[in-house]
Amino acid sequence: MNSLRIAYGKRQFTLTFMATIHEVMSDTPTRDDDQLLPDGDSIDQPSADTPSRGYTDEQKYQIFNKEFMPHIDSMYNFAFRLTTDEDDANDLVQDTYLKAFRFISSFEQGTNAKAWLFRILKNSFINDYRKKSKEPAKVDYQDVETTYNSEDAEAEHTVDLRAESVSDLIGDEVATALNSLPVDFRTVIILCDIEGFTYEEMAKILDIPIGTVRSRLHRARNLLKEKLRDYASSMGYNEENED
Amino acid sequence: MQTSLPSSSSSNAKPEMKEHCSHRKDCLKMIQLILDGEATDQQLARLKVNLESCQPCIEMYHLEKEVKELLTKRMEKRCCPEQLVATIKSKILRFS
Ligand SMILES: [Zn+2]
Repeated sequence: MNSLRIAYGKRQFTLTFMATIHEVMSDTPTRDDDQLLPDGDSIDQPSADTPSRGYTDEQKYQIFNKEFMPHIDSMYNFAFRLTTDEDDANDLVQDTYLKAFRFISSFEQGTNAKAWLFRILKNSFINDYRKKSKEPAKVDYQDVETTYNSEDAEAEHTVDLRAESVSDLIGDEVATALNSLPVDFRTVIILCDIEGFTYEEMAKILDIPIGTVRSRLHRARNLLKEKLRDYASSMGYNEENED
Repeated sequence: MQTSLPSSSSSNAKPEMKEHCSHRKDCLKMIQLILDGEATDQQLARLKVNLESCQPCIEMYHLEKEVKELLTKRMEKRCCPEQLVATIKSKILRFS
């Protein structure tokens, strides 16, 4: 089972990187096209206000190694929770890291690498995978957001659920509930509650104002609680009668 | 039950436990800010008062805290497959 892999703990990505790689067989064609960032908005590109940093190759590998690679487990989890598919998660993480390296000169050494990487991953997901998976992306999300935007709906919208009812739920049940949310709502919960990003970091990762982060998170949690309530009641953890 | 005071909202000495919260929606938002570590001192102070005097707020607080802990502690965390790490490393080396 995949879950047992946790036992590996934190990896070290230090010098192995510069070591000789034997498996560079030409089974994969080099992608030297400049189309990796089709819309030009996937990550901060070098421009007037983000001066291109002239890193040497050695510095590039060092940054990649020491600042990017330590986040790969978090990135993989993020990708897996977005795509809910192992192969897609693999592709997404790989694309993201290759883009990160390609545009490494727009990353300022010592700044928030995790947020920077998450932003690239999230944009790659929107540009490449969401289209592919035919998830009714925006429509889906806006429908829900509109529903909850109405003040009436929101006023009533404190989910009737007790803390004791959810305390016995296991990780799988929580994961299923989370996965059933529209991806934009799922995303804010992942970033905030699972990855521990601040609202400000989330605003940057998602390219939305902080106020939107706050309200989207609020709605996402209401939706999640509804799912958890359904779970809890189907499992027989009843709210009213506790003996 | 006592008859309530005419208009002044701030109570005196003993806060009675309220069974109904008239600001549930706002209280809930505030509770989430606090649990996310994004609240102001003022909001924190307000929550303290509510947790002493408002039953629905107490319950909302516990539920939000529980749900957040489910997410932070009980979700399975995977490791990135070794093979993928190796692939990324080898591809990067061919870039420069
Ligand atoms: Zn209250």
